[in-house]
This record gives sequence, structure tokens and C-alpha cells, in this order.
Amino acid sequence: MASGFPPILTGRMTEAPGDSHTIARYEATGGYTTLRTALSGMTPEQVTEQVKASNLQGRGGAAFPTGVKWGFLAPATPRFLVVNADESEPGTFKDRQLLERDPHQLIEGTVLSAYALAVHHAFVYVRGEYPKPARRLQRAIDEAYAAGFLGSDILGSGFDLDLMVHLGAGAYICGEETALLNSLEGKRGEPRIKPPFPAVEGLYSRPTIVNNVETISNVPWIVANGGRAYASIGDPASAGTRLFSLSGHVKNPGNYEIPMDLTWRELIYDIGGGIPEGRELKCWIPGGASAPWFVPAEHLDTRVTKDDVAENGSMLGSGAVVVMDDTTNVVAAAHRIVRFFAHESCGQCTPCREGTTWLERMLWRILQGHGRPQDLDMLMDVSDNISPGLTWPPAMTTICPLGPSAVSPITSIMKYFRDEVEEMLAAGVTT
Amino acid sequence: MTADTLAGWSAANRRRAEAMLAAYPDRRSAVMPLLYLAAMEHGHITEDAMREVAALTGMTPAQVQSVASFYTMYKRDGVGRYLISVCTSISCFLLGSDALLAAVEEETGTAGGESSDDGLFSVEHVECIGACGGAPALQVNYELVEGVAPDKGAALCRWLRDAGPEIVLSDEMQQLFGGRRSFDWAIREHEGAVAPVPAFAPYGSSGEEGA
Amino acid sequence: MTAETGDRVTITIDGREHAAEPGALLIKAAEEAGTYIPRFCWHPRMKPVGMCRMCLVEVETPRGRMLTTACTMPVAEGLVVDTKSAVVEKAQEGVLEFLLINHPLDCPVCDKGGECPLQDQTMSYGPGESRFVEEKRHYEKPIPISDLVLLDRERCILCARCTRFSDEISGDPLIEFKDRGNLTQVITFPDEAFSSYFSGNTVEICPVGALTAKPYRFRARPWDLEAVESVSMVDSFGSRVSVQASQNEVLRINGVDNDPTNQGWLSDKDRFVFEAINSEHRLTTPLVKENGEFREAQWSEALELIAERLGSVRGDEVAGLGGARSTNEEAFAFGKFLRTVVVTPHLDAQLDDGLDPRFLAGTVARATVSDLEEAATILVWAADLKEELPVLYLRVRRAATELGASVVVVHPRRTGLDDVAAVKLTYRPGDGADLLGSLRSKRRARAEVTAARAALKDGPVVAIVGRTSAAERPGLAEAVAAFARDLPGAKILPVARRANVFGALDMGLSPELLPGRVPAASAQGRSALEEAWGPIPEPGGRSATPILEGLRDGAVSSLVLLGCDPARDHPRPILARQALENAGFVVALDLFLSDTAQLADVVLPLEGFAETEGTVTNLEGRVQKVNRIIPGPGRSRPAWSVLGDLSRRMGGDLGAPSAEVLMEEIATVAPAYRGLSWDRLEWGDGREGLVVPTGDGEQPLQHVPDAAALDGAGDGWALHAGRVLYDDGVLTRMSPSLAALAPRAAAYLGPADAGKVGVEAGEEVILRGPYGAVALPVGIDPTLAGGTVYVPANLPATAALGAPSHVEIERLEGGGS
Ligand SMILES: Cc1cc2nc3c(=O)[nH]c(=O)nc-3n(C[C@H](O)[C@H](O)[C@H](O)COP(=O)(O)O)c2cc1C
Ligand code: SF4
Ligand code: FES
Repeated sequence: MASGFPPILTGRMTEAPGDSHTIARYEATGGYTTLRTALSGMTPEQVTEQVKASNLQGRGGAAFPTGVKWGFLAPATPRFLVVNADESEPGTFKDRQLLERDPHQLIEGTVLSAYALAVHHAFVYVRGEYPKPARRLQRAIDEAYAAGFLGSDILGSGFDLDLMVHLGAGAYICGEETALLNSLEGKRGEPRIKPPFPAVEGLYSRPTIVNNVETISNVPWIVANGGRAYASIGDPASAGTRLFSLSGHVKNPGNYEIPMDLTWRELIYDIGGGIPEGRELKCWIPGGASAPWFVPAEHLDTRVTKDDVAENGSMLGSGAVVVMDDTTNVVAAAHRIVRFFAHESCGQCTPCREGTTWLERMLWRILQGHGRPQDLDMLMDVSDNISPGLTWPPAMTTICPLGPSAVSPITSIMKYFRDEVEEMLAAGVTT
Repeated sequence: MTADTLAGWSAANRRRAEAMLAAYPDRRSAVMPLLYLAAMEHGHITEDAMREVAALTGMTPAQVQSVASFYTMYKRDGVGRYLISVCTSISCFLLGSDALLAAVEEETGTAGGESSDDGLFSVEHVECIGACGGAPALQVNYELVEGVAPDKGAALCRWLRDAGPEIVLSDEMQQLFGGRRSFDWAIREHEGAVAPVPAFAPYGSSGEEGA
Repeated sequence: MTAETGDRVTITIDGREHAAEPGALLIKAAEEAGTYIPRFCWHPRMKPVGMCRMCLVEVETPRGRMLTTACTMPVAEGLVVDTKSAVVEKAQEGVLEFLLINHPLDCPVCDKGGECPLQDQTMSYGPGESRFVEEKRHYEKPIPISDLVLLDRERCILCARCTRFSDEISGDPLIEFKDRGNLTQVITFPDEAFSSYFSGNTVEICPVGALTAKPYRFRARPWDLEAVESVSMVDSFGSRVSVQASQNEVLRINGVDNDPTNQGWLSDKDRFVFEAINSEHRLTTPLVKENGEFREAQWSEALELIAERLGSVRGDEVAGLGGARSTNEEAFAFGKFLRTVVVTPHLDAQLDDGLDPRFLAGTVARATVSDLEEAATILVWAADLKEELPVLYLRVRRAATELGASVVVVHPRRTGLDDVAAVKLTYRPGDGADLLGSLRSKRRARAEVTAARAALKDGPVVAIVGRTSAAERPGLAEAVAAFARDLPGAKILPVARRANVFGALDMGLSPELLPGRVPAASAQGRSALEEAWGPIPEPGGRSATPILEGLRDGAVSSLVLLGCDPARDHPRPILARQALENAGFVVALDLFLSDTAQLADVVLPLEGFAETEGTVTNLEGRVQKVNRIIPGPGRSRPAWSVLGDLSRRMGGDLGAPSAEVLMEEIATVAPAYRGLSWDRLEWGDGREGLVVPTGDGEQPLQHVPDAAALDGAGDGWALHAGRVLYDDGVLTRMSPSLAALAPRAAAYLGPADAGKVGVEAGEEVILRGPYGAVALPVGIDPTLAGGTVYVPANLPATAALGAPSHVEIERLEGGGS
């Protein structure tokens, strides 16, 4: 966790590697005191105020300001809070660490958020492939119930909250908030048309807030230290610290909590230790498999902030940085990513269902040495029919951004490595 | 209705099913956990399993099938005792997942998603399992092992065959066959999978019965 | 956004301004403004899902132009839309290309070829040629998913119209998506057929040829079909249909979206009944019985014979039954024939299996089906609507699931509506009056009764009232109506069987009624009619059962039947048989040689549905036009013409050179029908059908029965003789595809009662009642009230029991184990 900054999210797990997930350790390090203070001394509005002031942006991918989202919550009751722990974007493994290593931080954040939102029933939707994080979280929830931090009349405040873990069963699309809600309702995980947004019509058609694990895990610190303190960390437009998941061809893969004011060079070389075995950096994905790629020549010295990344045509997304060295066959890498989206398409909308599969099969054919010269234009044109104009953020012919996400690797390799693709088509190269 | 439908289920799973139906604001919401339970009971999601879940949730079997078939972890075909899921998504791919998959398939005598002849293994390649920092990674009955070199993957399979553990424990496999992890896992845990269903107390696992 | 109902907002489509209804979906608003936006998944009667993405358009937003689906976009003031921009065109072309890459190119052999939106839109918006070189998706070619429907998954474009219909509209989600992404397919559960009463709708709304109906697979190419709009004559709901024929054969019936009635949907019986029209069993020539055998005869010979035989007895020795399956014009001609040519007061369109004609024709505060849309509470105390009036069931279901009405269902057992009902009350037939009493009182009662009372306080209330089965006393329904009339904002929708029973009663086919809902006892009404018709018989004629008793006992000698089969349909089949056997002379006008017609002396072949023109009146009193598209088989003729001819031979005159002229006469002599004409129904304000007025104040009938007179006491088991959709009625029997769907006959008992009798499911019992006995296997029905036995009425194995109120149950020793 090298970054020279006192961590907000990961401090406990670095300091107490053995038992940071237990309630004993959590309380011993100041855990749940914020909840006590808030429930006895703050109104729900005051809690919300701090979150708004913090300028905390959602860590699930879209970086939407959390306080603003909370402000959209419709007044009807009952209403729900759902913590999105479906983390499935290739390259991302930060929420897993938060669940496994500091579940009480998430629970405290959830109770605080529920209090602020006047919610009495909250869910954590954990992806099915995360049984261990789910177990740790469940045990922590049991501990929290026993200690009176969950259940009815929490800490004598009169506030009630039930918290349930719901396990997914293998579907990336359930990370999309409305697909998640359908899944939680016992349906296929197909995204819904928005509007209405979940804050107005969510779970069981009731007002619902969906937030990412990391987003909610920030809430105890924000309420304890004040929103302004949080807002002052990092780049003014990208407040606070973020957990970045570093993987691929780097010496030190892992999750790193950093304030958003470093450059990519610092992140990949100083924190990540650079490229192993003396190889060269070829490119990297700055924000999860959905994000357009960056290359050293253009982006190494740009900053890791929401706005700088956006200006360069990509996004910080889920915070997953996937590094590729100069040995990488970029067509094969792009194929892997497109394959992922084709496999995970829910299938309801035509361009995504048909288009992602078509792209995957074209790339596969090219990798098998059966590419044709016209495939280059076809790849781009089919991509264009999923994401018209091939801009970023993407225009969409689809319901949700999954389909257009499959286009990012294709536009990226065409933009930076077109000669390699052409060469491959010409030579009929096989991997 | 519950009593009739679940006549064939174990007492523990019957109790779990009732608890699930009671826990959600809406019966239908229990369909996903109930499918896991049904998989524990039947070994995989059989037609009978879907009929039972339909009766419990007030859905039609066609609706249950529609839900079950949407998610990859509800196995509708028989699965071996050890379901090995090798991640082949981007980060694992970059670090040699294809060689790991080949080694595992070779060692278990499976190919193309089939089960091994002895019914011991099913091998699948899966999309990202959130272990990118410990690539390449795999799961046995959804219990994670990170940093698995191809030869270690093969050794893991041999071990499963020879030792035949009743309970699949992540930490044990990681210690014996794993390498670099995405992050520090902290203390060793003794809760693990007893079937190719995620080991989470409400669905059954080796651990204490949950909350 | 702030616009009140009725206000219009201004939107701009392709540079031109239009006024639109605020909140309307753009796809619809654009269509109203003359701009058609292509679509596949959107259907005006289902919730938008925006899945196919064909309807993409560009709208202006504060953040610039954005692609959006017109089917999910509500219009608001100032909306600016481009439906033809280069971006839109490329997107639409792209969607079509995506849909086509996996679509087989088998249009020449596809049922949908020629009327396929995918085919059409490919012509208008599609890419030139395919650049997809990978292999297409493959599935097993058409697989049967029910006895009526086949599924070809390769053709499916996954628009989810069928799955949404069966989930949202019909409430039997048996066809669903399976798998996901590119592997997504539509399918049923293994061994669980798509057995829905409404499955044909999915065939009709499938935008491609993925779902096809067995009864019309490969029968006709759409471009060979002629079509005419008409009204289904399967039940009294009056669903609007498009009847399609080629070469004098009806090959298809589709639904027409008539807002006040069926809104596009049909039951499978409405849809596939054309098989009966085309049946080889249709009567094609007059038949005259000689020495107990029928022989073919000329019309002149047969009519002469009838004229002579009927002319040889006193008028009031003759009786007439039927007319409830005919058009209003035919029913009117029948009544006029009986009252003025034969001069008899004995006539009835019902067979004592319905309700008091004065009640049916005279319901005050009668509801229309559209009133269901505004109802806060709907009371259904009638037959199981799903079985007897399936499209009305859809409308009630919609009110409950989409419009938030609470439905209170009162019935002796489970009904189709129970799933969406807020309250369900089950009672033993015979105990209805007690239950009604406790609904009315304020005394402590079981929880459901309390819940029903509470629900019924919330108006407006629509009460759908009818007989739960023919075994139940008819007075109960009237008592229920009398009770319901006092509920807040109450309106009553009386329901009864047979397609045009309401029309037939309105035409005066009852001893109690003259044409136009006029009581036969009304002196004023009689004199008005006599002015037009000349003298008519005194009131006090016999209704169906007394007619049959008269025939049996000799007080009545002759019987004229118009599309009527008392041997099967009367609750006392033995009486009906004895009556027909004892009768001096029986003439049957019919489409088929029914059980009753077989006992007749002369049988005359009629033209029927799709072959004759006229009007029908549905259960709301809505009059609609039915039309002809093919000639009847052989020498069959329309009933009005036969009766006119016969009248002349008997020295009378119906004054009916055509059915349309009959309508002109109806419009003058039948008060409620005043001013109606075919023209108005075809071209004028009556295209949706016109509801003839019941006029609260001037309503001539105030028939409120006495609830206290309803005593259900009797010995033995209370019988519930409920009807099922696919019973042994002639239309089903003559439609092979439907006949195959008839359920197995059984005597159903609650589990405890089965224990009492000492029988288990599958064992045989004998049910013995006053009208007959049948042997049936036992079935278990946990939804029955104690002391009740349920027997599906009018199946081959149950018909002989008739519909008595009580039966004895005897164990058949040695049967089953
Ligand atoms: C295809 C897709 C997948 C997503 N997956 C996740 C996910 O795994 N975890 C997550 O928190 N958000 C995911 N999101 C974002 C959620 O829809 C939602 O924006 C987020 O959970 C809101 O939380 P936040 O405001 O705290 O970021 C995904 C979005 C899309 C379109
Ligand atoms: S874009 Fe893909 S994943 Fe998203 S709703 Fe459409 S089909 Fe489903
Ligand atoms: S018609 Fe609008 S998306 Fe299908």
C-alpha cells in the first residue's frame, strides 16, 4: 500500500494482517464509534450532508457523486439500500479485499448510509464466485447483530436495519445496478430501461440506492472526519483515495490505495514496480476491461484522475489497471476481452447479443490465421453499429454499456496497433 | 406446500429452504439461494430440482429454468466431485492461464468442458474470478487458489484424486499449490466446499451452520 | 409535464411540429403524426422493453443529440426528434443486419412470408447483402411446444413478445427465455407444454415465423388471403376478429384491436374454431326423416312438409327454442315467425342454464367492459371466467395487475383469477345465500369475508355476476346483483353463456320479453308492437323447461329449434330426450346434425359464422356487425331467409327480403335498438360497436329478486357442474385441434371428503342425481369447499348427469386400488 498517504480504507488490514476482519480488532481500532456518535448525535440529514460535502464519487465504475445520487432517493417507503459486491470486471479485485479483510468497515458504512437514507432493509449482493468474502462478511454481520450494530433499535437509537447477503451465481451483468435488482428479485439479470432510475423505482419497484462496496466503505471515515477533509484529498475533482487493482505484466500486482494525484508512470513504475524481466511497457488498460487502452508514448505522464483520463478518451472505471508488456499479442488480448463481453451479454438487446459475438468470432478467425483484408473495416463498422461514432464515453445502440464496452479493445488496437493487426491479416499469423 | 415439495430433502436443507423463503420480502427472491440448495440436494440443477424450486417460490418451472439458465454457476448437467474452474480472462491470460488450463485438462483427462470418465473432475474455463493480482488462478468447487503454475495445477489435480478431500479448503490448496496472491489472505480458515456449490453456510459448507 | 389530461404538448418530428398527448410513447405519438418508426419488440398492448433496438431515433438533449428507443421514450413539451438522420439510418440498418445474421433465409417456405415485418423492414431499411461469413446459430427445426403451437428457434429474433404476453397478459408464463447472451432462446420447460388458452395470440404477435399455429401451418400464403372483420361467436364477450379466407375456406382468424372489447387478444377457441366452419360434418342439404332414417330432400319439399305439419296444429301447440347462437336478425326473424306466423307464446333462447331473461335484459346500472379500467374493486361471482369467457378474464386480469383494481372472487372452487385476486371466497353450492348474507351483515365473520367486505367498500365497484354453474339456482346471481347494486359506484355486468344470448333476448326470444327489452306483460309495449306486427299471442308462454315438459306430456306437440341442442345443453338431459322423442313434430335448423337434430323430423342446413351477415349483441349490450366472407356449404341458407320462406308457405310474411331490412325493422320496433343500422356500425360512429342504452330512469325492468327465497338445502353432495373451455360443445367437437384438448372427465372431491367416501384419486365412483347417473374416476381438488363434488360439465363422460343441485356418490367396489 505504498503511497505515502495515510490510508482511509486499507489501514486496518495493513496494520493488523491477522485479524482485521474481526469485530474485536475493528472495535479496538476505533470501529463503530462513528456509528455511535452519528446515531446519538447526528440527524440523517447531517450524515447525508457530510457525504455530499465529501464529493465522494461512486467507485463502481461510473464515478457518479454519491451525495447527489442519495439526493434523488424518492420519498416513498419502504426503500432499500443495496451494496454492489458483484465485482466481476476483468482486472478488478479490490472489493474482494475490502470484504475479506475489513467487512465491519463496510457494515458500519452500510448502517450509516441506511440511517442517512431512512432505509431499514439493506442487501449486499456478492458475486457467486466469492464464497470466502461472503463467509467473512456473513460472519461479520452475525457479530454485528450480536453486538447490537444491526437489527432493531440499533444502539438504543430507535433505528432498525436488517442486512442480508445475497449471493450471485455467475453473471457479470448483475454488477449493472438494474440487472442486479432484477437478480435480487429472482429474475434473470437483465438490465432495465432507465429512467426510471433505481432511486425512484428500484428493488420491488421501491426507491433504492445502489452503491459499490468501496463507496460505502468510505462512509465511516467521511462521517468521522467530515466531508471537507475527504474532499481535500487528491485532485479537487476526484476526491479521496481510490483502490487500484494492478495486474498483468507488473512486478508488484495488487491493490493500492492512492489519492488521485499521481501520474500513470508513478502508479505503474513506482508503485507497481515496473515491467518484469526487463521488458518494455506496451500498453495498459486504465480502468477495467471496458475502458479504452493507454500507451506509454501518449499517456505515461498524464495524471490518474477522473478528468485527465476522460480527456484522454478513457475512464478510471472500476479502478483496474491491466498492464501489458511488449511481448503481448494485442489481437489475442483484445479477443480475450471481447470474448468476455460476448460471454457476459445478457442477450436482451440485439446489437450486444449479436454484435459482441460477431466481433469475437471475427477476432478468433483472425487469430486462427483466417483473417481477410476487409475484416479490418468490418470490425470497425460492426463496432460502430454497437457504439455509433466510436467515441468515448460511448454512444450506444444498446440498453446498457456492456455492449459498447466490447468495442473498447477493438478501437484501442486499431488506434495504436493497426500495423500489427494488418500484419497479422497479411501473414495469417496464428498464436 | 413446502413440506410436500421438500419431502426428499435433508432436514438441514429443508430448514434452510424455509429460512430463505422467510428471509426475503418476496418469495421469488429466494429462487437463487434455493437453486443452490437444490443443487446440493441433487448434485446439480436437475429438472426435478427446478420443479421443486418452482413449487416453493410460486413460479412456473419454465420461469425457474429461465432464471437458472441465465447464471453460469447453476450447473444443469452433471458435474464431477471437483469442479475446476480455470480463469482465462485478460490478466490470467497475460500470465499463462491457457497453459494452466491445458495442464489441468491433461491431468484430469477432460476436454472441452466435459467431465472426466471417473466422474471425479469437471474442468471449465471461466471469465474473471477476481484474482487478477494472483494470476493465473483457478477455483476448485469455487474455492480459490492463486498464482498456480501449470505444473502446480497438474499436481493439485493429482492431489485431489489421491487425497480425495471431503472438504475443499482454499487455504490448504493455496499453501500446497499456490503462488502469488492478490493480497494477504490473513488467517487460515477451515470452512470450505463439500460440493460444487459455493461454500456459504446458508447453502451448506463444511463450516458451522450460518446465521 | 404539467399538462392536464386532454392538454396536448408540442413535439417536433423531423422538423415538423405536432401536437401529442403528453406522456404518450414517442413511437405511438409519431405514428399518430404520420411518421412510422420501425419496431419489432414493441406492442401497443404490452409494456415497452426496448430490447430489439429497431426503433432507435435521435432526440435533442441538453447534452446534445442522443440515440434512444422511441418505444420507451415518453413525449413531453418541446421534444425534438430526428427519425431519419444518418446516425439513425445507420443504427437501424445495423440492428437489422444483426437480426439477420442468424436468421435463416427460408422466407419462401415460412408461414410468415409475405406479412413478415422482418422481411418488410429488410426491404426498406436493411443492408444490401450479408457480410457475415461465420456459421449461423442452429437449432432443431420446428418443435411442437403445445398441441397448437410450433416453435422454430432459428427464426426467432428474441423480441420477447410471446414470453411477455404469456407472463404479463395471460398469466401463464410457460414459455420463457432460456440461457443468455448469444445462446438465448425461447423455450418451454421439458415436458411442460405451452398449454395456455391464449397461446394463439403469441403466434399472431410473433413478428417473424418463429411461432406457428398447427391449424394453419402451410395452409395459405398471406397474399392469397382475403379478410373481413367480424365478431367471434364463440362466447358472449364479442371479441373483434379478422376472418381470413381463400377459395371459399376460412383459413385463419386473427384478433383485431377493439379497444372496448378484446384489445387484440383472442382465446384459442375464438381463433381455431374455424375448423368447425370447414368441418366435413356440416349440414349441406335439408334432411327429411322417413321410417326413422334421414334422406336428403329439396328445400321446397322440406319447407312444404314443415308448413303442412306446423299448419295442422294450433299455434300454441308449437314451441320454439334457440336463437342464442344466431345473429340478431335471425333471432328477430325467429321471434317474429313464432309470434306472428305460428302464433305461439312459447319460445326461449335459453335452456334454463342461464339467468332470468328479465334480469339479463334489464340490468340497471349495467357495466361496460371498459368500466373495469376505472374500477377500484371488481367482484366476480360467476362462472370461472377463464373457462367460459376467457377474454373477459384477460380484461379483469389486466385491471388487477396493471390498473390496481382489487378483485374479489367468489366461487365454489379455484378459478383462473385466483392468482390475481385480493380476496377469494370459496363456498359450497347452495350456501351462496348464506355467504351473501354474511357479506351484507356487519357481524363477525371469517377473515376472508371481512377482507371482502372491506374491499367492496372501495368504489367504483364493478360486479360481474352470473351462475357459477348450471347446478346453482339462477336466483342467487340476481340476489348478488341486488346486493352489489348498493355498493359504492356500483355497476353490474351480468354474464351468461352462448355467443348471442343477449342479442336473442333483446330480440324477444323469451316468453317474458318482446323485442327491445320490453316486458311481454307491458300493455303499452304490446300495443306498440302489434301496431307493426298485428296481433301477437297473450303473455304467459312457456320457457324452456315447461316447453320440454309440455312436449313430454303432450300439451305441446311440435318444436322448432334454431341452432339449439337441448339434448346436450339442458340441465336435465333425460327430460330433453323424452320431450324430443314424444314430440309430434320437430324441425331443427342447424349447422350440424346435433344430438337433438338427430331426433328431429326435418333438419335444415344453415349458414353460420363467416357465412352470414348481421349483428350480434355482447354481454355489455354492445351491438357489432358480423360479416360474410365465404358461402355456406352445399345448399345451406341463412336462417332469416329460411324462416321468411317458411312463413310465406304458411300464409304469413316476415317482410324480410334481407337481413339488413330486418335490422331496419328492429331499429323501429325494438326500443333499445332505435336508430341502429348496419351503416352506423360499419361506417359511422359504431365501428367499435354501439352499446344499446339501458337507460337507468326509463329502464322498463326493475327485477330485483328476493334473496330470502334462495334455499340451497337438499340431500347428498352439492354439485358444482362448472364448464371448461374445451368441453364437448359442438364447436369444440367439430374443431379437431380443439377437441384434442378436452380435459379428462372426473368427479373431484376435497381430500377430506374423498376420505369420507373412502376413495382415492383414480378410483371409480358412480354419481347419481335426479336427472341421470355417470361413472367417473375420482380426482382430488383441494380447493373445493367441503361437501361439494365438482364435475366438469358437458364432457362426453359427464353430460348424462345433467346439472342437478345435489348428487349421491357411490363407491364402485372392485374398481381401482
Ligand atoms: C456492465 C456493468 C457492470 C457493472 N459492474 C459493477 C460491479 O461489478 N460492481 C459495482 O459496484 N458496480 C458495477 N457497475 C456499476 C453499477 O451499475 C452502479 O453504477 C454502481 O454499483 C453504483 O455504485 P457507485 O455509485 O457506488 O459506484 C456496473 C455497470 C455496468 C454497466
Ligand atoms: S447491452 Fe448487452 S448486457 Fe446490456 S442490456 Fe443489452 S444485451 Fe444486455
Ligand atoms: S420496438 Fe423499441 S426497442 Fe424494440
